[in-house]
This record gives sequence, structure tokens and C-alpha cells, in this order.
Amino acid sequence: MNPSVVLITGANSGFGLATAQALAEGGYRVYATYRNPRKAGHLWQLSKNMTLFPLLMDVNRETSVDRAVRQILKREGKIDILLNNAGFVMAGCWEDLSDSDIEAQFQTNVFGLLRVTRAVLPSMRKQGSGKIINVGSVAGFMGTPFLGAYSATKFAVNSITEALRMEGRPWGVDVTEINPGEVQTNVVQNARIGQKVKSSSSPYTAFTLQVEAWQKGRFEKAAPVGIFVKTVFKALGDKPTKRRYLVKWDDRFLYFLRWLLPDTLLEWGFSKMLY
Amino acid sequence: MESLPVALITGCSTGIGFETALLLARKGHRVYATMRDLKKARSLKEASVGLPVEILTLDVDKASSVKKAVAAIVKKAGRIDVLVNNAGWGAFGAMEEYSDEEIHAQYETNVFGLLRVTRAVLPVMRAQGSGRILHIGSLAGKMTFAGIGLYCSSKYAVEAITESLRLEVHPFHIEVAVVEPGNIRTPFKVNRRQAKIFLEKKSAYQNVLERILYFGNHPPDSAPGPDRVAKTVLKALQASRMAIRYPVGRDAIMFPLIRWFLPDFLYDQVLQMRYFQFQKEGLP
Repeated sequence: MNPSVVLITGANSGFGLATAQALAEGGYRVYATYRNPRKAGHLWQLSKNMTLFPLLMDVNRETSVDRAVRQILKREGKIDILLNNAGFVMAGCWEDLSDSDIEAQFQTNVFGLLRVTRAVLPSMRKQGSGKIINVGSVAGFMGTPFLGAYSATKFAVNSITEALRMEGRPWGVDVTEINPGEVQTNVVQNARIGQKVKSSSSPYTAFTLQVEAWQKGRFEKAAPVGIFVKTVFKALGDKPTKRRYLVKWDDRFLYFLRWLLPDTLLEWGFSKMLY
Repeated sequence: MESLPVALITGCSTGIGFETALLLARKGHRVYATMRDLKKARSLKEASVGLPVEILTLDVDKASSVKKAVAAIVKKAGRIDVLVNNAGWGAFGAMEEYSDEEIHAQYETNVFGLLRVTRAVLPVMRAQGSGRILHIGSLAGKMTFAGIGLYCSSKYAVEAITESLRLEVHPFHIEVAVVEPGNIRTPFKVNRRQAKIFLEKKSAYQNVLERILYFGNHPPDSAPGPDRVAKTVLKALQASRMAIRYPVGRDAIMFPLIRWFLPDFLYDQVLQMRYFQFQKEGLP
């Protein structure tokens, strides 16, 4: 049997890069896409001695997505696995975000994810098999202040996974989701901040500083990225997949609390941590 | 009249917005009922004779329109005590087959529009040191249903917006909640936009979608009308402190309870089975 072909979006750093490398080492043929050629140096380095193929793709643009997917299908004839990983964090309280901040956040995390999925699905349906793994977040089941926009996109991804899972199953396409919490990646360094977050007129400045300090502390103690890669392998091994994968015990605990506690109690606890 | 609390409601030409505007006006609010198209204002105008209802144009998709309407209300009334974010519609189709434009349009109104109005009103409420914001979400924001996946995802986002915004505006004594109607007998059918490929009957999912659409177009007679949602909005406004969520209708209460009760893998099985059932049943 031919080795499986994998498409990973946003593969030039973090989860994407680590997973691309691990899968290529595991014998998969990995198409690792990046948006910014200047940040793809490491990918090209890796491509020299493994079945890893860097590919330019901007999930924000339909033509770019279609072109990249066509290229892969032409070369390989199939795409077996899609890891929808491309995404970023737009930080800021809702009122400090502009229309275009919010639009940009959804453009990549939601519309971009759907764009790649829509481009890949017809070929998966035709071959009667395929696996799609969406990268969600713990913020996808806990509405998080200061990261409201990010949270909203990940809530949306949660629902998109559920819908695709139903619609894909009869065609043999298995769709699932991984919800990582804090893991050591560049997600904080790569985060963008809303237009008015750092403005002196923002009424949320004190709160912003508080949350930033709190989050910095959480990320300093974060788990290494290998824990995410391990979860990807688990999802790839499961037939069929579970509805959702969590990567570490504290995320599982949070998921359990969300299930167990009434909303108001959970919120009360949350507000005690923040204020 | 000056002392009446001032309410801004979006999407008032029909259904939930229409009923909420009337009920709040009857229960002592000065209501600014807004809609995108003033040509659809006639029935509200007739129904609200003698009530403190003023109809304004507001297109949540357009920043300038939102700013203008909010400024006009502040100029006339001096304050905004209540915002009901009701404007919205539902896309119908398979996730795979929406176009970029269809996806964007769904989010433009249900998510970006809701945020646009909210962000325009927040400074007013902060200055007052009080205010209540109610998003009209949906049961579909808690559970995903086949055929309306895109709509569901936009309503999931509204849930996240509610949860995060509540904590951000807490210090300013502004409260936020989401109302979650289940199946409601509203002219929502009119507010549904089917994916182009489905309308052209070229969808790879045509049969199962037709079946789901038939199912969706025939809500049980027991489903509550939009006036029940209006009553829930009023209940939330009269509460000394607003809860986070206000489900409306038996399904909106029962379904999430069932989901809560079932382990994830079982719930997942139930969803898959229901979808297979839709596919098997075919059209009546």
C-alpha cells in the first residue's frame, strides 16, 4: 500500500512543524504548508532528508488554497489526512477590537479552516476514505475573557467538527478535533493584539495587564509540544476516532469541571481568579 | 416618559424582534425597534400604535449604519439601558458546499453584526455605569444539527461571546446573557437561505438535505411562538441579576440536559445514528 499522504496547514512553527516532522519520520508523505516564505527556512531544511514537502498556501485566499490542493492531488493522486492547524490568537477585550481585528481572526481560524476542508473533501469522498483533524482549543469550550475573539472562533470550530463528522461519516470521511490547552509553542509570541488594546484610552488596561501576567505564568509552566504530537498519533490510530481529544490532564480536569459545575458557579470561580 | 428605561432591539420586522419590541414597550420601556429595511415596518407600526415604540433603520452588516442609529438614539433618549441583539438568519446546506461568500454572509450578520452593535453600545453603558445586553442565540449554539452546521457554528460563537464579554464588562456593572430558543414557530423559514448548490439540486448531499429541510419546515404544533421568547427576554430584564443562559421551549431545556447526561461517545453515536436515519428515510 502506498504511504498515506498528509496535508498540514500552518506547518512552519509550533504544533504544525512538530507534527509534520514526526509524521514524516513515521513514513507519511507530509505536505507542510506555510503562508510566509521568509519563515519557512526550517521546513526546507527538513525537507532535504525526509518525505516532507513544504508548500506555499495562504488559508485566507481561496485561489491559494485551491492551487496547493490541486498540486498535491496531481502529484499524489490523493490526500488521506488533513490537519487543520493554521490559526492565531487575536488578543484583547471585545471593546478594544476593531471590525477588522475580528474579521481577521475569523478569516484564518474559521473561514480558512473551512476553505481547506472544502477543497479537500471532494477527493476524500471520491476515494471513500479520509481523516480530518481540526485543531481546536480549551478556549473552544470555555468562553475566555480577553481572548473572546479567539474563543469564539474555537467554539465555531467545535461546531464545525460536529457537523462535518455527521456529514462525512457516510462517505467514509472521519472528522475529529484536538483541544489543546497551554503547550509550549509560539502562539503567545505570534499573537496579534487588537487595535485599541495598548491605547491609553482603553478602559480595560488594568484588566489587560492582569490577564497577560496570569497567562504568561500559565504558559511558562506549559507542557512541551510532543504531547500534542502524541495525541495526533492517537487520533490517527483510532478507527473511528473519538469526537474530541484532549492532550493533558489539566485540560481534562477543566473539561470535567465544565461538565460538572453549573455555569454560574464556574463563572464565579473564573472571576475570582481574574479580579 | 423620560424616566422609562431605553431599549434598542435589532431585527424587529418579524418574529422574535417584533414580539419583543411590543412586549417591552407594553411593560414600561421606551423601545427603539430597528430593522434593515424600513419598507418592512408597516406591521410593527400598526401593532405599536399608542406604545412608546420608535422604528429606526439599522443594518448590522454596516458599521456606518450601526454608528448612526446608536448616535441617533443617544441624542434622542440620552441613554441605552437594554440591548437585544436579535438580528440574524440561518444558512442551510452541507458544510462542504457553501461558497466563501455564503460563509462570510452568515457570519457577517450573526456574529460580526452582533458584535458591531454591542461594541457601539458598550461605551454608552459604561458611561452610565449600567446596562443589560441580551443576545438571541439558539439551542443550535449548544448542539450542532445536520444541515444547519454553518448556522450552528455562528451560534456557538455567540455563546463564547456571551461568556467572555460577561467577565470583561463585569466591573462596569453591565450584564450580558444569551437567550436560547429551541424550535420556534417564527417566520424563520423566510429568514433561511439555502446554499446555492442545494437550490440548484446539484448537491452531493441532496437527498439527506431535502429530508432534513422537510423535517425543519414542519415544527411540531407544540413548539412555542416568538412571544414566548419575548416573555423570556422580559423575565431576564426583570431579574435582579441575569443568569448566563435562558433556554426557551421544552427542547431547548431537554436536549442539552440529555447531552449533559450522556457520555461523549454515546452522544456522538446518537448524532451519527440520527443522520443515517435521515439519509435512509428519504422524502415522505
